[in-house]
Amino acid sequence: MTLGLTDRPGSLLAALESIAVNGGNIISIVHSRDSITGGYVPVSISVEFPSHESVEGARRGIEERGIPVLSLESLERRIETMMVLGYLPVEELRSAFRGRGEVISLTVGGGSVAPYMRVVFSVGVADRQRLLQDLGLLASERGCLLVLEES
Amino acid sequence: MKRLIIVGYGFLGKRLARVLEKYGREELVLAGVANSRGYVYSDQGLRPGELEDDLSRHAKFRERPPIEMVENSDADIAVVLTPTNIRTGEPGVTYIRTALARDMDVVTADKGPLVVAFKELVSEAESRRLYLCYEATVGGGIPIFSLARQYFRRDNILSIRGILNGTTNYILSRMHFEGLPLDLALVEAQRLGLAERDPTLDLEGIDTACKIVILANALMGMDKRLSDVKVAGITRITSEAMMAAKEMGMTIKLIGRIEDGELTVAPRLIKLNHPLCVHGTLNAIQFRTGLMGELTLIGEGAGASTLASLVSDIDWILRMREEL
Repeated sequence: MTLGLTDRPGSLLAALESIAVNGGNIISIVHSRDSITGGYVPVSISVEFPSHESVEGARRGIEERGIPVLSLESLERRIETMMVLGYLPVEELRSAFRGRGEVISLTVGGGSVAPYMRVVFSVGVADRQRLLQDLGLLASERGCLLVLEES
Repeated sequence: MKRLIIVGYGFLGKRLARVLEKYGREELVLAGVANSRGYVYSDQGLRPGELEDDLSRHAKFRERPPIEMVENSDADIAVVLTPTNIRTGEPGVTYIRTALARDMDVVTADKGPLVVAFKELVSEAESRRLYLCYEATVGGGIPIFSLARQYFRRDNILSIRGILNGTTNYILSRMHFEGLPLDLALVEAQRLGLAERDPTLDLEGIDTACKIVILANALMGMDKRLSDVKVAGITRITSEAMMAAKEMGMTIKLIGRIEDGELTVAPRLIKLNHPLCVHGTLNAIQFRTGLMGELTLIGEGAGASTLASLVSDIDWILRMREEL
């Protein structure tokens, strides 16, 4: 996340407190003193958060302290399981994931009578909806039933 | 004294009649009962124990169209327990319309009229200052609508999801725990009286879809019809697929969902420790609201527990009428 800090002592500490109370683990902090705009010094902070809710909690806490959050890029990924009931060529399934998610494990079973695939995959939160839509479309084209995981 | 009539004298109707005998007569009397072939009616109320299972053996049985009882009676509350027709809503729609037109409060367990004509019937009841209660239509004995009426008045329901069909949940549970194929689990459910001889509505997810429509219209101010629900049933779930889910600490359940304005019913993988993951004939429903967050209710979804919902609706009407 990139914050707009005023050049006043203590403002970075206030932001870090909000991150800490929400369980954030700070990886790096980069001050861009050369890029002061509108009185703000952009400060980019890389943080690992335990959940999406904790990211939002930290953002709220920072903003409540009067510090603007200039940008927030989430690299959050989720690991989910799904099943495909019916026959779907493995390559077609893998191509749907290309660039958006990663197949962690794939199990095929059921023989030729009732084939199924069990897929464990990881996907970025931002890409998830689009990936699931495309998988749904692919399954429908192939006459398969997609059984997704309930969150 | 309030008079109550029951239209539909099947499993629920017979049990309800017995429960109503326990009310004080100064409070409520069962004045009439109708089945598809005729009716028994008395303005003074039927005596406790005088109704037999076979209604036509009653001395006052009139072999006439049952609508005649609704049209001509002086009842205050009509309990409509007609068989569900999700395409036309009949015969329930006609009985409810007629009862409302005769200034009766209505309690029903029939999903058909609410799926087909929810807005019309609710508007008609409201315009006449009557109560139309339908707790028994969704989730059997789980107090969904009465809870929402009391608890969510100032809260905003953002989404609803749940296991709302006891038959499919029983079948999927047997597949999960015993490794039974779907067809054997179905036969078992039919032998136990949990599944209809024609189980299509349950297995294809249509019954759950009907309940989702009622929930969306009643609790989230939507105007949805059955055709608005994206439905996939459980007929393609194999015992092999179920075992593959089990290996991952999961199972497969039929979940109905209302989220972001969309209504869906589909089999879903669900972790065994998920709050919605209930087994056997149990139902579970989860609300996500603006203030409360998540709230999950679990209970028997069918059979005698539905009776509790009917009695609760009748009691609520009596209480509200007392307060007026």
